[in-house]
Amino acid sequence: MATDTSSRFDGDELRFGLGLDDPRRLLRGAAGVVGFVVVWHLASLTQPAYVLPSPTAVGDAFAEELASGTMTTALWSSVRHWLPGTIAGTGLGVAAGVAFSWSGLLDDVTAPLVRTLRPVPPLALIGFAIAWFGINDAGAAFIIAVGAFWINYYAAYEAVEGVSEDLLDVGRTLGVRDDLDMVRSIVLPASLPGILTGVRTGLGRCWMLVVASEIFGVPGVGREILRASNNLLVDKVIAYILVLSLMYLLVDVAFRAVQRRVLVWRA
Amino acid sequence: MAGVNEGPMSADDRTGGTTGESGVAVDGVGKTYDGDGSPVRALDDVSFGVDGGEFVCLVGPSGCGKTTIFRVIAGLTDATDGEVRLAGAPVTGPTTDMGVVFQEYHLFPWLTVEENVGFGLERSDRSESERAGRVDEMLELVGLSEFRESYPKSLSGGMKQRVAIARALAVDPELLLMDEPFGAVDAQTREMLQRELLDVWASTGKTVLFVTHDVAEAVTLADRIVVMAAEPGRVAEVVDVDVDRPRERGDPAFGEHVARVRELIGARP
Repeated sequence: MATDTSSRFDGDELRFGLGLDDPRRLLRGAAGVVGFVVVWHLASLTQPAYVLPSPTAVGDAFAEELASGTMTTALWSSVRHWLPGTIAGTGLGVAAGVAFSWSGLLDDVTAPLVRTLRPVPPLALIGFAIAWFGINDAGAAFIIAVGAFWINYYAAYEAVEGVSEDLLDVGRTLGVRDDLDMVRSIVLPASLPGILTGVRTGLGRCWMLVVASEIFGVPGVGREILRASNNLLVDKVIAYILVLSLMYLLVDVAFRAVQRRVLVWRA
Repeated sequence: MAGVNEGPMSADDRTGGTTGESGVAVDGVGKTYDGDGSPVRALDDVSFGVDGGEFVCLVGPSGCGKTTIFRVIAGLTDATDGEVRLAGAPVTGPTTDMGVVFQEYHLFPWLTVEENVGFGLERSDRSESERAGRVDEMLELVGLSEFRESYPKSLSGGMKQRVAIARALAVDPELLLMDEPFGAVDAQTREMLQRELLDVWASTGKTVLFVTHDVAEAVTLADRIVVMAAEPGRVAEVVDVDVDRPRERGDPAFGEHVARVRELIGARP
């Protein structure tokens, strides 16, 4: 009985989000994509290419960039700051979120700082990125890390806040005596679903921030988008946006697979 | 420690109050909460004892502070006055000398059944093989050996509560302290769990303090019933249950005890 409901959520619904194992859902999704491309094509007939290029023009631009090697070079450049920025921001965000949420003292000390720093958009920190790290991967990674940090900070903070006091009581009656044991044995596993949701949101946000992080001259997919925009090469812009989307999709599907595996215990 | 081997019928302090070196003594416990501006007296001068190996139920109307006294005994809430002693030593905080079972099971959902049962053992100084043996023994005791690798999500309520009992007993506590443990399961499962608990009690010789609002449940299980009254929470009376086990609900003596306890609960000032 309990297993019936849990398998429903574990299985179909969460499998890939795209419904890859549900033919009907897959079919509807495909219909949506085809419909969109048709509408796009029809609309593009009425507009000049620098306003809205046709899907085929975008496809051509994509193939051209891929063939020339520009696309893979740009993607590799972006990955070189996306990856360290995401890892650093995620790690620090989760660690700070867990620590500040668990410890009343740390929470009191950091609350005003957090509230002051939270509304600062990562883009506003470009000056610091350049001054502290320079116009390079480290500077771009910094921008991405800031974005990842806050998403993960809040997700972890709230997840820890939501840990049932009853589970902590059970832990205490079973011999958990210090904070380290409590956090490791109960707080972290209990808040893991919330933390992982934050990580996943952060992964997506970091791909968006790739464009922002390259605004000051670091090469990469974002740089290509910005350069193509300046030259009104809209087909190229859309081709590189597709690259970001595909990367996001790839990372998201992979992460969901990991998430499902880690959270098998969840109802 | 002394007490746990004395067997269930060794209650020599039938009047309640404090006990000697075995069992639990609740001595003049009071608890006042700071309600907004006006302090609320949740417990007032609560005193009773549970002898080593004895099975005592605590019943009372809702709002009589059953859960508060449970938490004070478990060391999870500080008393304002008085003290609780376990085997003669004051309880100052949670201790593995008590196995605590909560109404809503509170299993660790990320751990399998056997990992849940082994949770407290991991923090004891037993060797790994001792711990594994103890987990096997406990799973056997509650009849869940074949579910050892399941996660709690796939268990029924009754099975979850069996795991919680096994988890509490695994560290070999002196006292099994239970707060309405069968309140969340259906009536049929509850009767089965009651029988099983009595079997576990008989085979382990543990001291049991069992909080419930169900009078028939208390009469089914207990050697003695501590009846509480509300506003403020206090002990109204301690009732001996002189009915041979296994107890049948149809038995006139059973009915008399139920009526007597109900009357005490109903007779609120």
